[in-house]
Formats: sequence, C-alpha cells, structure tokens
Amino acid sequence: MIGLSPEQRAILNGARGPYLAKCMRWLVDWGEAMGATRLIPVDNTHVLLPVPNLVARGASKETIEHYVRDLKEACSHRTNSRCICTVHTLFLTLDDLDVPENDPEQVRMQREITELATAAGFIPTFTCAPYLVGNVPLKGEVCAWTESSAVVYANSILGARTTRHGSESAIAASLLGLVPEFGVLLPENRKGTLRVEVSAALNHPTDWGALGYFAGKLAGLGIPVFNDVRRPSQDEAKQLCAALATSGGVTMCHIAGVTPEAPTLEAAFHGEVPGDFVSFTDATLRQTYRSLRDHTGDEIDAVILGCPHASIREIAEIACLLKNQRVADGVRLWVDTARGTKANADAMGYTKIIEEAGGRILCDTCPTNMRIAARRIVTHGFKQAHYARNMIGAEVIVAPTEACIRAALAGKWLGDE
Amino acid sequence: MSEVLEVKGRVVARGCAAGEALVSDSVLSFWGEVDPVSGKVIAVGHPLEGQSLRGRVLVIRSTKGSSATPMVLNLAKLEGNAPAAFVNLEVDSLAALGCIVNGIPMITDLERSPFEAIQTGDHVVVDANAGVLTIIKK
Repeated sequence: MIGLSPEQRAILNGARGPYLAKCMRWLVDWGEAMGATRLIPVDNTHVLLPVPNLVARGASKETIEHYVRDLKEACSHRTNSRCICTVHTLFLTLDDLDVPENDPEQVRMQREITELATAAGFIPTFTCAPYLVGNVPLKGEVCAWTESSAVVYANSILGARTTRHGSESAIAASLLGLVPEFGVLLPENRKGTLRVEVSAALNHPTDWGALGYFAGKLAGLGIPVFNDVRRPSQDEAKQLCAALATSGGVTMCHIAGVTPEAPTLEAAFHGEVPGDFVSFTDATLRQTYRSLRDHTGDEIDAVILGCPHASIREIAEIACLLKNQRVADGVRLWVDTARGTKANADAMGYTKIIEEAGGRILCDTCPTNMRIAARRIVTHGFKQAHYARNMIGAEVIVAPTEACIRAALAGKWLGDE
Repeated sequence: MSEVLEVKGRVVARGCAAGEALVSDSVLSFWGEVDPVSGKVIAVGHPLEGQSLRGRVLVIRSTKGSSATPMVLNLAKLEGNAPAAFVNLEVDSLAALGCIVNGIPMITDLERSPFEAIQTGDHVVVDANAGVLTIIKK
C-alpha cells in the first residue's frame, strides 16, 4: 500500500479539482500495482502530448475528438514549479509539409494543444532525444520520462532515475510534482541481470544499434551489462539505448568501466557477477544486421536518418556527405531532428546543403510516426527499421549512415562498402 | 460439461471482464505491433500476427517497448477494439499504466503457469477485484 501525506490525500479527495484528483489516482494505483510504498518528488519530466494523426488511421471523428479533449484538459493545468517539463515527438510536423500524411485538421488541433501546453509550462521540444536539446538530468536526478529510448539513455548514460512512463503518468507527474517510487528509482533495482561480452568490432553508431537490438531481445525486462567494450560517443550511446528499448522492455543498461554506475563489471552486478554470459561477436553483428534487412530488390524510395532525432554532429556528417551531390530522383531523404537542433543546423549552413542536395530536415516527428508511405526504406536506426517494417509495411535495410547516403544518391542499395 | 478451473493471482488493474482467451508465450509491443483501429496484431513474424485482440483475454508473457502503450490502448478502447483483460506472466509498467488509466483489468503472478492453465479459445472470467480467474475450457 502507498502511504500518502495529508496533502496528497486531500488532492486525491478532490481538494485541487477533479482532474488533479484523477492524476493522483493514476499515480497511486500505478504505484500500488508496481509495489511502491510512497510518492516522491520529481525534478524533471518528458511528456507525450500528440494528436494521434495517422497512428489512428481510420479512427472515428469521435475517437480523435475525445482524445484531443483529454489532452486539452491536461494542458489547462499549470505544471509543478519544481519541474522542468519538456515534450516528446508529435505524430505530425507543425511546419508546412506538402504530403497527405500531415493531416491539416490534426495540425490545427496540435497547434491548439501546443498553445495551451506552453502556457501551462511544457517546453515544446518535440523530440525523442531531449538530452540533445537541453534536458540533461544529473546523476541521481528523479525524472518521469516518456520515450523508452530516452529512458534507457537517462538511466544508463546519465545515471538519472526514471521508470518508463506513458502519457498519463508523465502528465500527472508534471502537474503534481510526484512519482510513485518503484523499479529503477530504487538503487537495488539497478543491478545488472544479463552479462554481454562484446568481441565484435563496433565501427559505426549503427553497430552499437545492432548490439542493443541483440541484447534487448535477450534481456527482456532486465538490465544488460556490456563488458570489454570501449566508451561510445554520444551518437553511439543513443543508438545502443534506442535499440535496447525496441527489441526488449529494457529500462537501463550498464557499460562496464564506462557508465556512471558501472566503474567495474562487479559494480554493474552489485558484486555478484554471473558466470554465464552471452557473446556478441563479429558474426553476431552481421547476423543482427541481416535480421532487419528483408529487401527483395535494390531499388529504394526512402532514406530515413535521425532515429532517434539527429544530433548536430550527425547533421554535420550528413551535410558533409551530401555537399555538391544530388539525391536520386524518386528518393525521399529525411533527416529527423528537434527544432532546437535544426536552428543550429540552419546557422551552420547544414540545412541549406541538405536541401540543395534534395533532402529535407523534418522537425517534431519522424516518417514512421507520420506513417509516410514508402516501399523500401534505408535507415541507420535499428529502431526506425523495426517499427517502419510493421507500421508502414515497407521493406527495410538498416545500415551505417555513409551506406545510407550512398543509397540515397544512387537510388538503390549498393551494399555496405 | 466443460471443465472449469479457478486460478488465483495478483491484481494489477482492478475491474471485471470476460472473453475468449488469446494465449501466446511471447512479448508484444502495443506501439507499432498493434493497430488500434483494426484491433489486430500487425507485427511481421510475431506469433500473434493477424490476430484480433478485440474483446479477448490476452494471455502473454509481457508487453515491451514503448511509452505509447497506454495511448494505443486508449485509442483501441475508444474504437471498441481493446482487449477485455490482460493476464501477464511479467508486468511491464507501461501495460500496467495503460490498463489502470483505461479501466482494463489485469492480473499477474498466477499460482500456476498461465500457459499451462489457459489455452486459446477457453472462456475466461477475470475478476480483478478478488484476483481470481475462472477458466471454462473449450
């Protein structure tokens, strides 16, 4: 059972209105289901406030209106003054985009929600990678984040503490400044459960995605520990964390000798290193790539980069590869990123280079979230490849960035080298 | 007469519901693997690919992945396509949240393996107030 303070009890009983009472009920019931005994203060939230757009393709008008009404009700309350609250990706872009998938009626609804949300205190970052645009919690900071890839990054790479949140719990946490204490918020639940010995040569960020995709499947809801591997770059860590949360229900991982809570392999396992381990070899690496390459031909029509949302360094690399080149006719090259990162890309001239080559920087969302139609997609993100296959029904080829760009220029998949 | 079994478990999300069981010892993501408008599993190669979840008592190992789990359950519920109840071996916090906010009963920690006790097609009455499943074998 959760013990509540008199003030928390009063909110549950309606002292601050019916909506906050409902939020408190969600946190209490969720906490009890997950074994929490109390609510604790939260410093930092990342919330999901999207209209469904084509995620609910074919849904009735009533369903959409009902959903939007709930979001508006949430955004008519002020966020807690202690919390920094940023916002996750949308299922459409607020920029002008001439594709049928950016439903104008839902763009209008999203603009209305955004107006209410910013007035309430939600910062409209519209990204799946808040840690790239200023929401960078410190070690030990209690967070309530949506976006499972960002949750893994926050816990593992930054040492912050967040369980995996959904829309309602992150909204409730933002408005009440509280979360139920369970799971990885407690130190004893941050202990590794699966030892992964890495002997493969990891040369590209996408190789780290392959490592995550492999380990996530085996770890399930557990905590993988990677051993004998060098320190990843920020972009490599981003791919690792996203893939872990795609193939499994992973909330965090450790990299022995690298991440904040794993100075040693022993520390990652809280002193109890298992003798059993799985190996990630060069052969496993190749096999993992093959598992997300189901193309029946080489002609392609879409190249999707920026999953999770591209960093400024990735955009610089893409611009460098595209300079004075031209994307093949009939191929859409999308680079997905946050508005804040695009502002820097504009200033650096990267946006101009990418657009002159025939590509596009897409803010707020990604093509899979938008259900952009495509037949055969090349992407550097294991997460994007996994979901595009199901959600767009496209054939997918996952590959490092350079090979993706070569495919974009040629209009067909040319292989890795 | 059909055989009737009673199995106790732990309540995750309160409520009562009944429906035909859909059983798979597998892990399912509601984001990207379930279409809320058709109510069907769309994951290529998943053991439940093509199956409708509408009104079913979904007996799986756990859910995985995305923060959008509660959102997809909400949309499925609004469209009348949500599962009637969840019986999970392991509780993923996002499925728990999705069930709680959408009023879908969920039970876990059964006193015996759900994959032995329940087969697809059995009629299952989920009392997630008392924490009891009544399984009417097909």
